[in-house]
Amino acid sequence: MIQNNSNHKKLSGVVGIFDEPHALIMATKKTREFGFKYFDAFTPYPVHGLEVAAGLKRSPIPYVTFVFGLAGCVLAFLYQYWTSAIDWALNVGGKPYNSWPAFVPIMFEVTILLGGLSTVAALFIFCGLPNLKKKAFDLSITRDRFALMIEIQNLDEKDNLKKTKEFLQSVGAKEVREVYEEGWGFSL
Amino acid sequence: MLTAEVRQVKNPGSLIAAPSVKTMFLVFSLIGVVTFMVGLFLDPKRMWFSFLHNHFYFLTLALGGLFFAALQWLTQAMWSAPVRRISEALTSFLPISLITFLILLFGIHYLYPWSYKGDIVLAGKSGYLNISFFVLRNLLAIGLWVFFAIKMIGNSLKQDKDSSLAWTNKNRVLSPIFIILFAITYTMVSFDQLMSLDPHWFSTIFGVYCFAGLFYSNLALTCVLTILLKRQGYLEGIVNKNHLHDLGKFMFAFIVFWAYIAFCQFMLIWYANLPEETSYFLNRMHGGWIYVSLFLLIGKFIIPFFILLPRGAKRNEKLLFNIGIYMLVAQWIDFYWIIQPQYAPDGPVFGLIEIGILLGFLGIFGLVVQKFLSTHNLVAIGDPRLVEAVTHHYQ
Repeated sequence: MIQNNSNHKKLSGVVGIFDEPHALIMATKKTREFGFKYFDAFTPYPVHGLEVAAGLKRSPIPYVTFVFGLAGCVLAFLYQYWTSAIDWALNVGGKPYNSWPAFVPIMFEVTILLGGLSTVAALFIFCGLPNLKKKAFDLSITRDRFALMIEIQNLDEKDNLKKTKEFLQSVGAKEVREVYEEGWGFSL
Repeated sequence: MLTAEVRQVKNPGSLIAAPSVKTMFLVFSLIGVVTFMVGLFLDPKRMWFSFLHNHFYFLTLALGGLFFAALQWLTQAMWSAPVRRISEALTSFLPISLITFLILLFGIHYLYPWSYKGDIVLAGKSGYLNISFFVLRNLLAIGLWVFFAIKMIGNSLKQDKDSSLAWTNKNRVLSPIFIILFAITYTMVSFDQLMSLDPHWFSTIFGVYCFAGLFYSNLALTCVLTILLKRQGYLEGIVNKNHLHDLGKFMFAFIVFWAYIAFCQFMLIWYANLPEETSYFLNRMHGGWIYVSLFLLIGKFIIPFFILLPRGAKRNEKLLFNIGIYMLVAQWIDFYWIIQPQYAPDGPVFGLIEIGILLGFLGIFGLVVQKFLSTHNLVAIGDPRLVEAVTHHYQ
């Protein structure tokens, strides 16, 4: 459990917990409209429409995938061309050295391979993963509940903290808590 | 809007067809009939090849409409409920293609070498490639499609009146049966009507190749018609950018699928290099046909692939419309490339006969589809998933 009144730990934000995804979407929208800049939603599974409600911009990942996919296609061709037509020209079944139709399946595979790997790599980079600093503040958000966290940057004064809690309640949170920074490890 | 509370979708009614468009289609049909008559006297062989080409092209558009609709019932798809009726409308041409097939039978001796000449290879195939069996099985296949179209589309139309779930359930039983029969019969029909133009040649993937083309053009036409109706304001509040985006994704996927299948067919034949198989591609890689082959590689795959790749393109109504028309033309050229080298091995022949017959089919197709859309609702208004489909997309 979160130690609510631990003074020696640094406050990182206020979290509101919701029972169903629609309530979270509505609350997220209102939070953004209210003017909070630093907030994050936590869901046990991808919720359609949340990215719109949170006002997230389009991810740059597709461009990475495109560039690497294209590079994979070209590199696979160049490599096969070099091996079978330049470096070690071999006559296979009387076909020309540069038998491009035979190269296509490998070009296709390398396109997929580089595209896929670069997508995962880009995902890790853009999401700042692996993130060892933060830990799950409530295990139920990986199971059946939905959370909206308004981060500390928004609430520098004590007065704000109270107001933020009230705000979360007003947008329908079933439970509102303060979240403190914790070290690396589990506490159930 | 995040909380669009739509409990009921307003029925857009049926199409009020502009008389000028109707007249245009009528004129096209007349041009077609005249070209058919004149062609029969001037150059019957060329006319029959063009007739087969357009018969098969419009047959696939109609059949594709039935396949698309059946696919939605089979998968219980929700997103497609607002556009399904438009693909259903295409099936109204299916009975006409039964008639055009019957007309085609008069040209059988011009088209299919197995019907007028014999050699050792053809003698071995005569158990399958003979006129009576050819006619019988093709009639049976097209008749089967017409039957399923009447049944399934009929159920869908009856649902408009009472919004009963029972009709959807009936189609959920019929659609898997249809899809299985479709796979078998369409393969057979494409083998018979197209592949047997060159009866010495064979390719087991040919049916799949034709299927890829069928879905390629059907998705494009569904998208084009949806946008046309949307522009006229019929689908206000029913079809939005997100539905077009879904259709765009589908189109993009089947551009890739077609290329994949086309290359599978080409590469295996090229690699194995067996004389009885290579003739098909050899004919299409010399003379004027090499340019058509290159067009298929670049124009039917690479160009639309890169145009439809970005997300914005699939949500751009105008672009989607133009690329849809382009894809329909590309598919027409694909069938041209399959069929006409048997008539003109040196290079493509394109003239008034080809244009006239195409216009004729286009006119009749336009007339029946327009008739369907102006007698029935433009949207499957009784579909239990329509409300959800209209609202499921945020924004």
